[in-house]
Amino acid sequence: MRRALLLMFLLVLAGCSREPEPAGFAGLAGVGDTNAEVPFLQPGPRDSLSYPKDFGPHPQHRIEWWYLTANLETPDGQPLGLQWTQFRQAIVPRPMDATPPAANNWPLQAAWMTHAAVSFDNQHYFSEKLARGDIGHAGARAEPFSVWLDDWQLQATGDPDRWHLQVTADQWSYDLTLELRGEPVAHGNQGFSAKSATGEGSMYFSLVDIHIEGTVTLNGNSHRVSGKGWFDREWSSQFLKTGQQGWDWFALHLDSGDKLMAFQLREKEGTYRSGTWIPAQGEPVALKPGQLALAPRTGHKGHPRQWRITVPDYGLDLQLTAPPGDYRNNGLYPYWESPVTVSGSHTGEGYMELTGYGSSSTD
Amino acid sequence: MTLPAALLSHYRRHPLQLLALAIMIILATMLWTGVHHLTSQARGSLEQSESAVAERQQVVRADGQPMTVADFVELRRQGFCVMPWLEVSRPADGRIVGIDPLAAACFGSQADGAPEPGNRLDGKPFVDISKAAELAADHRHELTLLIVPATTNHSLPAGYEHAAFQVGPDTGELGESFLLNLDALGVLVLLITALLVRSVYLLGLAQRRDSFALLHRYGVPQRQISQWLVVELLVLALICIFPGVWLGRWLASALGNGFGQALESLFDTPLYAGDSGGWTAPVLTMVAVVLTACLADGLRPWLRRLLRSFGPRHQHWWPLLLILLLGLVLVIWTHTLFWLFTAVAIVFVAFGVLAPRVLSGLADWRASRAGDPMVRWRHRELSVLARRLALPLVALQFAMTLVLAVQALVTTFENTFDQWLAQRLEAPFYIEVPAGADASLATHWLNNASEEHGLGPWHRVIRGRATVAKGPENTGQAVDVFGLGPIGPLVENWRLLDSVPAPWQRLHENAGVMVNEQLARRQGIQINDTLKVSLGGDTMTLPVLAVYPDYGRPAGEILVPATLLPETFDIRFQSLSITPGQLTMEAITGALEQLWGREQLTVRNNRTIQALASNIFDQTFLLTRAMTVLTLILSGTALLLMGWVFFSTRAWYFRLLLVWGLQRREATLQLMRLSLSLTGAITLLALPLGIWLTWVLVHRINPLAFGWSLPMAVYPAFWLQLGAMSLLIGLSITLLMRYQLKNSASTPVSANALAGGER
Repeated sequence: MRRALLLMFLLVLAGCSREPEPAGFAGLAGVGDTNAEVPFLQPGPRDSLSYPKDFGPHPQHRIEWWYLTANLETPDGQPLGLQWTQFRQAIVPRPMDATPPAANNWPLQAAWMTHAAVSFDNQHYFSEKLARGDIGHAGARAEPFSVWLDDWQLQATGDPDRWHLQVTADQWSYDLTLELRGEPVAHGNQGFSAKSATGEGSMYFSLVDIHIEGTVTLNGNSHRVSGKGWFDREWSSQFLKTGQQGWDWFALHLDSGDKLMAFQLREKEGTYRSGTWIPAQGEPVALKPGQLALAPRTGHKGHPRQWRITVPDYGLDLQLTAPPGDYRNNGLYPYWESPVTVSGSHTGEGYMELTGYGSSSTD
Repeated sequence: MTLPAALLSHYRRHPLQLLALAIMIILATMLWTGVHHLTSQARGSLEQSESAVAERQQVVRADGQPMTVADFVELRRQGFCVMPWLEVSRPADGRIVGIDPLAAACFGSQADGAPEPGNRLDGKPFVDISKAAELAADHRHELTLLIVPATTNHSLPAGYEHAAFQVGPDTGELGESFLLNLDALGVLVLLITALLVRSVYLLGLAQRRDSFALLHRYGVPQRQISQWLVVELLVLALICIFPGVWLGRWLASALGNGFGQALESLFDTPLYAGDSGGWTAPVLTMVAVVLTACLADGLRPWLRRLLRSFGPRHQHWWPLLLILLLGLVLVIWTHTLFWLFTAVAIVFVAFGVLAPRVLSGLADWRASRAGDPMVRWRHRELSVLARRLALPLVALQFAMTLVLAVQALVTTFENTFDQWLAQRLEAPFYIEVPAGADASLATHWLNNASEEHGLGPWHRVIRGRATVAKGPENTGQAVDVFGLGPIGPLVENWRLLDSVPAPWQRLHENAGVMVNEQLARRQGIQINDTLKVSLGGDTMTLPVLAVYPDYGRPAGEILVPATLLPETFDIRFQSLSITPGQLTMEAITGALEQLWGREQLTVRNNRTIQALASNIFDQTFLLTRAMTVLTLILSGTALLLMGWVFFSTRAWYFRLLLVWGLQRREATLQLMRLSLSLTGAITLLALPLGIWLTWVLVHRINPLAFGWSLPMAVYPAFWLQLGAMSLLIGLSITLLMRYQLKNSASTPVSANALAGGER
């Protein structure tokens, strides 16, 4: 999702405000609102991460998101997948320390979108919310940590390592407590994650060890749940490059205690791959494009449900399988977001996100 | 010479006839296009605003304060799907509505009217709310928070209440009826045009009969001539229609402001900025009208067969009378606008067919009883003229009928409005209380001045908003508040539609409220009903003491004593109505300026406000008046032209009067009496139809279209004006004939060839 969705999201906003932005980027140089007095900032290898500041918004960057996926279980062992994502899309860049515009003028300098989904018993529940920024009903804050849109919110409780996530949709809801364990993992080069061979990229870090407990209510039936979560923070000022067709992203919790993040950006000529190997013991390792392979194992049409990921340097040859069902998030722009089970050289579970496969749900 | 050139040579010989046809088509196209343009735009506005807010509910603050961004955020953060709706009035360009398409997303399929996220907001009338907020700085605006109806059962946070959301107070149907009225006027204009165009065209055909016969003799088939006539007419129509449509659009833009005010002041439905139809509909309609009017002869055999089925010609009266009767009865019995208009159309058709026959019959009857040969000749000639000029005569009759009825309606409305305004503006002077000024200082001073210095009656008017619910089960409706204090002689003479005994005294005692007619009608409120009124956070249950007429504004309003308004009431506007009495206005304003620490106050006198109101009223009915007057001019000109042409064709025949031994002066006198009889008779026949139409407009159509009934009045002085105008047309014809009689005798022309065979 992420990049492709935000590209489309920008077009939505363009409908509300001004001429559409270019549909793709011929290159990253010069990206930004050329009319704006302040340009959009472009992430680069020299940028670094700063906690907890970087949990908050980056108003001088064009796009960013807070992304939680969770592989949970009911007391009787039934798997339950869960997603919560909040996106921010800047229309006008603004320095971090600048005063926001007055809410009374209903400014349109940024817009927010939140997606929430639950996958359970081969069913997929999805809901979406939209809001303009700087009004007050959507926003994010680093300290105390809080990200909200209307009554959906992810926020730190008194303890900064305990978060509370609440979502109420029409027929379903969830209310979860997140216990953060371990330090944030910076992807790529100290947090700069390249997204193409020519070096363009985003700032990207994750919390990969989160214990989650709470209640998920579906059609009036409440389920106690617990399990693992994966939280991503990413920001940039660019979208898919021209020629990039879609995005396949995986976040895996292996039963060995190791973790793996892998993604590929599919291009007409070649594919750009990257990832991070996060061993249970030791430092995370950024995977270079040649170190990993991602390949769908099923059919040529629709969203591939089965994948093979190999990282020979670390003895990984993983088979990923999504459960039966249609896991497209049918919001303004549909994409696939499903839990997966891992088999092969290792066992485990995780999440898979696929974009750019058209509207067909299965192969 | 080619066939087209031969055919067109007629217009070279009769350029005035071509000019008459062209002017008629252009003027009629202009009129109809203007009306169509405006009604399309208005109808679009109505549909847009209605669909956008169909079955919508809004959230209002219980304390009556205006909604703000903070309220929106508060409600959204608590999980309520509310959408901001910022309406900005731009007097010149219509209203625009600022919405937040992102916030509207939670409405899902229920956001029918508002564009979805991703759709471009093009200002017709929706714009992004940030753009509307920019404009709001300079224009009147109001923020409303719409809420998804499905959530109306959920209890709102403390301090907020549900209320029905309407662009105006349930005036959609009324607005539609108003437009239907205009449409009907437009159709009548088309009918009159069709009659006029047909009459001129038929005259031309009669004059060209010899030319056609000659062409036929030269071997041109009749069918080819007919085809060329159709082409000629089509070309003429198109040449005239396009400038007509352009002029119509110009007329619409010129009248748009007044029309927008009409919609807004009558129905609280603003004319939104937007498209209002293209060229296709007016062009096609006018082409169809012109072609049908001129080429309807194809229908004549069918029409003859139909008439024959009613029996011999002299019995045609009875079916026509029966049809007329049917129309009259239907007008009385029906309760829907569609059937009402149908019935009016039936009456018009029957009357239109009957009128020339009645006139002709009466003339024949008078001729048969006249002893004087000249009188007999004149009446016989009148009978012939009534039959031969039937179409333009009926057109003029309809136009006069229309003018009579619309004039009576507008004047009645104006008079009633004036009376109402006079009641409302009893005090000679009005002073606006400046923002931030303490009005209680002024009331204290005015009380003192009243007791000690001979100040006349005065009161303070406080304007704001409240919600009113009739019974606990009903949803509260947002209404205007008219706070008044002290209750005194300035209001005690108000005409009330219904009231309890001593209503003003009881109002003075805070024993109830008064409601305006619109609120009473639409909520079914009667005196002694109990209302739950929320004023500035306080909720009180009060009986209704009276219902007062309120023609000026269609919005619901309650009149409450100022002492009933709580401290927390959000005052949006306040003023002081003052009768200086023994003081001068300078002394009063000077004292108030000093009290409030202001250098200058806004003071208006009654006359200025009356002039302003009259100006708005004139703007409101500018369109109706323009339509009727232009139609009258069109018809009058057509009759003048037709009369002149027709009399000219009979010039040789009239010259026989001189041959018979009459002096030219005496012959002219005879012609004058003839033409005056003709035009005078038309006015006389238009009169009953006009009065009847006035009654229909006032007592039948008006209550359906406007929502209230007006007293009916007739205006004989205006009848005299119309009569004078028709006599002027008659005199003009005589003068032109006198000029023709002066000329040397033209070639005796067979009247048979020119005018269809009667002499």
